[in-house]
Amino acid sequence: MENKGKRSPIRIVLPVLCILVLIVVPVIFRNPAFLQLMVLVLLYAYLTSSWNLVGGFAGVLPLGHTLFAGVGAYTSTLLFIELGLTPWIGMFVGALLAMVAGILIGLPTLKLRGAYFALSSIAFLEGMRVVTENTKVAFGVKINGPQGLLLPLKGNSLYYFQFDNKIWYYYIILIMTAIVLYITYKVSVSRLGYYLMAGGEDKEAAEALGVNVFRCKMIAMMMSTFLTAFGGTFYAQLVRYIYPRGIMNLEFAFEIAFIAIVGGRGTIAGPILGSFLLVPVAELTRIYLGGSYLGIHLAMYGLVLMLVMIFQPRGITEPLTKIYNNILDRFEGVRS
Amino acid sequence: MYLLEALITGVTMGSIYGLTALGLTLIFGVMKVINFAHGSFLMVAMFVTYWLIKLTGIDPYISLFVVVPVLFFLGFLTQRFLISPAFKGEKDVREPISVILLTSGLWIFLDAMALLLFGAFYRTVKTSHSGKTFVFGDGDLIINKTRLYGLIIALITSLILWFFLKKTRTGRAIRAVGQDRDAARLMGIDSDFIYDFTFGLGIALVGIAGVVLMPFYYVHPTVGVVFDIRAFIIVVLGGLGSIPGALIGGIIIGVVESVGAQFITATWTEGLIYLIFLLVLFFKPSGLFGYKQEW
Amino acid sequence: MKLLKVNRLTKNFGGLKAVDKLDLSIQDGMILGLIGPNGAGKSTAFNCIAGLYPATSGQVIYKDDDITKLKSYDVCRKGIARTFQLSKPFPNKSVLKNVMVGGFLWSKDRNRAEAKALEVLEFVNLIDKRDVLGKSLTVADRKRLELARALATDPALLLLDEVMAGLRPPEVEEVITIIRKINERGITVFLIEHIMQAIMSLSDLIVVIHYGRKIAEGQPEEIASNEQVIKAYLGEEYVLAGN
Repeated sequence: MENKGKRSPIRIVLPVLCILVLIVVPVIFRNPAFLQLMVLVLLYAYLTSSWNLVGGFAGVLPLGHTLFAGVGAYTSTLLFIELGLTPWIGMFVGALLAMVAGILIGLPTLKLRGAYFALSSIAFLEGMRVVTENTKVAFGVKINGPQGLLLPLKGNSLYYFQFDNKIWYYYIILIMTAIVLYITYKVSVSRLGYYLMAGGEDKEAAEALGVNVFRCKMIAMMMSTFLTAFGGTFYAQLVRYIYPRGIMNLEFAFEIAFIAIVGGRGTIAGPILGSFLLVPVAELTRIYLGGSYLGIHLAMYGLVLMLVMIFQPRGITEPLTKIYNNILDRFEGVRS
Repeated sequence: MYLLEALITGVTMGSIYGLTALGLTLIFGVMKVINFAHGSFLMVAMFVTYWLIKLTGIDPYISLFVVVPVLFFLGFLTQRFLISPAFKGEKDVREPISVILLTSGLWIFLDAMALLLFGAFYRTVKTSHSGKTFVFGDGDLIINKTRLYGLIIALITSLILWFFLKKTRTGRAIRAVGQDRDAARLMGIDSDFIYDFTFGLGIALVGIAGVVLMPFYYVHPTVGVVFDIRAFIIVVLGGLGSIPGALIGGIIIGVVESVGAQFITATWTEGLIYLIFLLVLFFKPSGLFGYKQEW
Repeated sequence: MKLLKVNRLTKNFGGLKAVDKLDLSIQDGMILGLIGPNGAGKSTAFNCIAGLYPATSGQVIYKDDDITKLKSYDVCRKGIARTFQLSKPFPNKSVLKNVMVGGFLWSKDRNRAEAKALEVLEFVNLIDKRDVLGKSLTVADRKRLELARALATDPALLLLDEVMAGLRPPEVEEVITIIRKINERGITVFLIEHIMQAIMSLSDLIVVIHYGRKIAEGQPEEIASNEQVIKAYLGEEYVLAGN
């Protein structure tokens, strides 16, 4: 970040304050419905940030990313049900498998043009969902097809990653999100980040400068799918029931992409901003208006997406950052 | 005989898939626009047809004369006021991803509005043609009249479209703009208008598909989703911008769906169709009849 | 030492022979100019050498390595950098970030890449515009950015594809000076140009191609009076008139 002359302490205090609020909020507001909402918001923040590594930094448009969440969820859950393996370990296995899936899918698709990549990601997601729905048993393991898997209830247990009080889930997803954000930040200032940006802006020019664009995209894909899988496991542990249409869901995959893009793909704050703005509004409209006005939160999503694509296709982070900086500048100006 | 009937169902249903894909391949081929809202427009066309028949009792095939212009108009407006601005906002980026997202937003919006206005009910409509069949050879072979009409209309539409693009001035203008928008402009063609017109035309074709479906299919706010995905698969399979490709691709998909269901479950046939799509995408992205492009 | 050797390079596009059995070699440290009428195949030859197009046949040998089949990013890693005729800045990133992409080639460290980028920007006189976005640059600045980016990769051989096209005379003079400075640093330069006085004054040696084939090679003064060259550019009548 450029240092425009003097930098008042408020520029550091404000973000730190926000983080403190996030840490303290569930202790102060113990309303379970509110906690539930915050957990959801953070889960979206986590998933969209993971998506951002491929969808934002690598410049491709994956619209089927929940496939990898599904791999994570199913892997950790099956290991839990069949072998009693704690999901804390199971989720790493799931992440590795998701990464392998990411490589296998990325190999033929990352060289495709944007639109075709998007279509293929949908085809893979739907294809995988269909296969899972149709499989009752695979390799001697019960998959249960469309009914999905119910997680054995272990009550309140850190070892089994299950909690009665939502507050635990909140802190876990908060930490996970912080980790993803850190990784995203590190990538953005690294060589990989610059190479990905270059490859996304002008592939030929980037390659003439020594950038192996395909390999960089593949690395981003591997990181993104690895991280997304953890989100899948978290979801499984939160809801304690997974089924193909629930986790490998096309609408959900689209939502993740939209929120990241409306927030600002390729930026670090974009997915976070998008999640914090869109998810609460969508959830609240769904809860309060969904009964009598079924579909209104979706209509809203669609409308927001269209408006953003017409007026601010790179997302709202840029203009919001400008406004934020303007306000702070004015504030600093008044003070001096 | 089940196999033969399945084949015929596959061909007739496939021709309607092809009809839906016709509009998409036109839009995709000429404007390089991925219209994810294509299925939603189909849903709109079906609802318009539904209400028209319900309220006026008009013969469904006559309603073509109302539905098609209405859909053309909707398409024209959509391109002019929604898609074109999104296109322009993105001049610096090489891949017009904004438009994909815009049309996705439109898809969600249209489906949600339909849900809001009409509710999540499955509606069908009874027409004078419902349930009528053609019977061949003493009951050996039975074909639904409405499905057969669908096939015929799909074929006729394809021919008319092909003729229109090849022989008329506007058609040639469309093809010119599809090849090189700026060069076409230099030749005196109003590329912006052609874009609006082409999109309108593509949606009008979807309108025809909607009318043809209503007599034997159900309408529901999300009915377009399946057709949408099929249409994209068909466009890739048949080749971007190819009319025979769209029709033949549609029939192939229809047949796979129908005949496949005789041997494996319906959901496995869906998986099979996705597999075909991916294989075509990886090994012959230009499709059956498309031009060789650098993807 | 021969830095680059091109043997019987051929590139066909369908039935069109864009480059036809082209032979040329570049000595370490020289400036080689490539000229020819429009459509002679200059850019195509360049693109084959740089790894953007696969050659139909022939060889490109760089410092004893056969680089014919290498992709452009591997060619760059060997030490050959290129600029594009139609400049391709990264539009939404600053000039500094643009050049840093090149600077990252030999170091993962961001500070080193930034230092390299700043040094190069200073060298091509673009340092004042380091925060300007790629899409907001003037034509002259874009050309300089192309140069800067390529230089940031620390090449031993620099391929310049019509880097002066579209520039006004004072801007052309500036670029000529920069190219001379680059060569003085020890970088071999291979350039395509249409601006005759520029390429004549810069080049140690000139190769002329026409219809994809080499029709002349020699010092600038020889080339200027070469009959074949005049015929290729201006047609038969001018040769006879010159007599």
